[in-house]
Amino acid sequence: MLQTVSEPRGGQVEAVPEAHLLAYRFMLRARLLDEKFAALYRAGKIHGGVFLGRGQEALSAALGINLTKSDVFAPLIRDGAGRLAFGETIVDAVRTYMGSSLGPMRGRDGNVHRGNPQAGYLPMISHLGAMVSVVNGVLFARRMKGITGIVGATCLGDGATSTGAFHEALNQAAVEKLPLILVVADNQYAYSTPTSRQFACESLADRAAGYGIAGHSVDGTDLTACLKTVGMAVASARAGKGPQLVVAKLLRLCGHGEHDDASYIDPKYKTSALGRDCLKVAEEKILQQKWTDAAQIAVWRSEAIREIEEAVAQVQREPAPDPFAEEWTALSTKRLIEGNA
Amino acid sequence: MSLTYLDAICEAQAHALRDDPRVFIYGQDVGAFGGAFKATKNLAKDFPGRVIDSPISEDAMVGLAVGAAIEGMRPIIEMQFADFSTVGFNQIVNQAATLFWRTNISCPITVRLPFGGTSGGGPFHSQSLETIYAHYPGLIVLTPATVEDAYSMLLEAVAIDDPVIFCEHKFLYRHLKAEKLPSEALPIGKARIAREGRDLTIVAYSAMVQDALEAAGELATEGWEVEVVDLRSVKPLDTDTVMASVARTGKLLAVGESWPWGGVTAEVIARVTSEGYGLLDAPPQRLNAKDTPVPYHPNLWAAHRPTVRSIGAAARKILRH
Amino acid sequence: MPLVPIIMPQLGESIAEARIVTFLIPPGGTVEADQDLIEVETDKATMTVASPCKGRIEKFTAQLDESYAVGATLGHIEATKEEVARLGLDVPAANKSSDTEHASKSGINSGKSRVQPTIRGLPVPANAAGASYLSPRLKARMDELGLHAADLAGVAGSGAAGRVTVEDFEKYITSLEKHKMSAASSMRVAVADAMRRSWTRPLATVGLPVPLDAVLAHRKSSNPRPGPALYALRALAIALSENSAVAGRLVGNKIIHPSSIDVGFAVEADDGVLVPVIRNADKKPLKDLTQRYNELVELARQRKLPPDATGGSIATVTNFGTFGLIWATPIPLPEQTLVLGMGAGRRMPHWDEAKGQFVPVMEAYLTLSFDHRVLDGGAAGRLLQRIGELIKQPEKL
Repeated sequence: MLQTVSEPRGGQVEAVPEAHLLAYRFMLRARLLDEKFAALYRAGKIHGGVFLGRGQEALSAALGINLTKSDVFAPLIRDGAGRLAFGETIVDAVRTYMGSSLGPMRGRDGNVHRGNPQAGYLPMISHLGAMVSVVNGVLFARRMKGITGIVGATCLGDGATSTGAFHEALNQAAVEKLPLILVVADNQYAYSTPTSRQFACESLADRAAGYGIAGHSVDGTDLTACLKTVGMAVASARAGKGPQLVVAKLLRLCGHGEHDDASYIDPKYKTSALGRDCLKVAEEKILQQKWTDAAQIAVWRSEAIREIEEAVAQVQREPAPDPFAEEWTALSTKRLIEGNA
Repeated sequence: MSLTYLDAICEAQAHALRDDPRVFIYGQDVGAFGGAFKATKNLAKDFPGRVIDSPISEDAMVGLAVGAAIEGMRPIIEMQFADFSTVGFNQIVNQAATLFWRTNISCPITVRLPFGGTSGGGPFHSQSLETIYAHYPGLIVLTPATVEDAYSMLLEAVAIDDPVIFCEHKFLYRHLKAEKLPSEALPIGKARIAREGRDLTIVAYSAMVQDALEAAGELATEGWEVEVVDLRSVKPLDTDTVMASVARTGKLLAVGESWPWGGVTAEVIARVTSEGYGLLDAPPQRLNAKDTPVPYHPNLWAAHRPTVRSIGAAARKILRH
Repeated sequence: MPLVPIIMPQLGESIAEARIVTFLIPPGGTVEADQDLIEVETDKATMTVASPCKGRIEKFTAQLDESYAVGATLGHIEATKEEVARLGLDVPAANKSSDTEHASKSGINSGKSRVQPTIRGLPVPANAAGASYLSPRLKARMDELGLHAADLAGVAGSGAAGRVTVEDFEKYITSLEKHKMSAASSMRVAVADAMRRSWTRPLATVGLPVPLDAVLAHRKSSNPRPGPALYALRALAIALSENSAVAGRLVGNKIIHPSSIDVGFAVEADDGVLVPVIRNADKKPLKDLTQRYNELVELARQRKLPPDATGGSIATVTNFGTFGLIWATPIPLPEQTLVLGMGAGRRMPHWDEAKGQFVPVMEAYLTLSFDHRVLDGGAAGRLLQRIGELIKQPEKL
């Protein structure tokens, strides 16, 4: 059962109930995994920061389940749901947070900086907007190699749209007509800075016209809407219609990181439609439509919790990186390491 | 036949494009126009679809190269001037340079930086940036000083699995000529004894090697035998060859065209002083550009960077110590 | 009328030369300032060379289809003085020079210092003679050969401020090879090292003649007979027990006081000197020390001194009188502040006031060499006077 869910589905998900249920289960797993990370952080088991996707799971999962294994995905910090949907295992997520030597980053990088480039899953760097052109590069190279029918997706927050890297890369993708889906989570705050101090246009989606690309807006708290809009954007890119900019409005339901109490968030947001918890909204819809029942959801939840706890227990027993065994070089060409020549 | 340093760079790229289908060139004006310096002359015609004009977006240029490298390609990025690479700095030092360390996936990109002073270039078309790139782990920084090295080192750079910053000196582009392209070369990472001597070691790289050789020639008429070490690559830095030379001469002058604070000359002196303290019969010295932006007027420009004359003067001080 | 050169311009960053494609105006033609004169081609582009001023083309010195370097003169324009002045082309050529050394001599910079290369001097941290400065390489080379700064005393340096360069040094070493060489014994090397270390301090010596008749008489009546140095040793020990601070060592800004009056005495052995020690020499009378003293002399000559009889002494006595010497300035051991020397006894005329005549007196010089950082001439003199008084009454020693 769990394995089935872990397997990336791939392709555009047409059937609403199935897509909804699939996305919901990734959202649920991501939310529970996030809660575990937050608990581990508060227990002193995680060094550095913990960054949660609370409130952004619907958007992220909708993107993840619309990608195939052959696609390219460069998620950002709040894309736990999308990562799981793209095929990341819970144990690798835990390993990266806990710095396990068996994790994909081997303790050399941590928390949300994780990926597997060879599988088209690009590990983010912290500099915002920097991953967009890298996704462009993979798509560009694949086109040179004659590979078609694939897309590349990457995620940003509203703050990252203010960077030069964002502009350069989106323009580059437009010039090259690359199958890029750029998903912006306009979650009202970049760390503590409200959007009024970030941009002055009505909607970030309006910017698409300036780049000569398609722009889409969506309510990020509504999974059904996200599935529809993101699905359409992915399908357009896959069909060769060039870059797609998707802007979702939502509210970050947590601090920037677990070190941040988010006291600066305007209370009016919390009671507005933007402040809805997308997980709850999705769950209500499922129950209301009777796509499944509460008992089944409870089973999914307990299964996810068990898997997460097993993963944490396993990773705790895994060897930490050994500074004496570490290969202290940043070069892959061994003969060019000084002292080796 | 006579080939310039620039011809060698163009030839090396043609060679790489011919030999390896994974190679492509991406940069501003590199396509049909053949590049601001003509370093990609005719390549777009000879290799259709593989020599591609980019928007004026240095950050996205390098980012694209990293993505393509992840996908198994071997992109060559031409920065129109080294100075503009600072706009793409983040992608070079944080994306390209960290990729292998973080993910175990290598990042075989070559970023070509036309660098160094030519008279009239001014503050933003004359910079020497090898130092700041050498500072970052994960990068290879090459500084060829001869036509032969420009060719063979660029070919090797494209073949290397790590990101390479290829610093090609704009003054040498057309001022340096050779009869033919080399059929063999020292590997990257090995310095070259450009001139043998027993009284003083001058360590230089790129265009400064040529100036140092000229200064050594003048000093020879005064009876001094000056050894000139051409570093070829500033990272990796061939400490062994430098140390062996200082062991022969006991005296060291490091010359670099970049600014004085930190940098390659400081690194050379730090290594010789800490690992070869007992070899030194005089305090090691270094000669760099002045600590100001590169000036525009030829008089100021010529006084800003080390010259044959100032290298000779510095050498004499050490020799008479 | 002045001739204004037509110059090959810098046609782009890094361009070194360009080829003449066509002359757009024939020689002799009149031209306006900035008018296109010559079409040239680089490998980057085709461009034109513009006229620097209004005037008549005197001639083109450049040839069609030939390449000329940037800055080369391609021909001349004959212009009026007024035109040349109007365009500011009447500045002497030297002002246009980009030569670093000459640039500052132009009008703008006159009176300012010349452009200096970015290198500063190479300071030689040395005294005026410079000979005490050793470069790291010279030090390393000397260490390799086991040499010390003192070994370079005979080398005249040719380096800055007269320093000895590695080259000077190697020449010196090579020159030594012409001489007969023999290995110095380990004892010799050890003594040399001790003396070198001691010599890093400012040492001074004071001297005092003392009558020896009483000592000689006492000695004759004693069995076994104490050596003359033992009287000096015992006198020194008593004097130091009265004020041990003068035998202290100066370390930093502290005087390190002796904890017991252990006094050594020099015994000549094969190619060197050994210094046996008598512990607590202030606590036992001379007669109780004689046996031990004689034993130690014998053991030292056989170089079989027991560990408890070497090292740790606070001062040393040396009887250079045994070599027939009457005066010397011995060097204290490096870990000691004082060395008491004793010269050969001589019969000297002393004026006897009571008898109104000279009388013969057996007399010897005592010398006291000391670390002038620890004590001054006055303190050293008082100590030596006290030792002299004690020696005059050997029965109390």
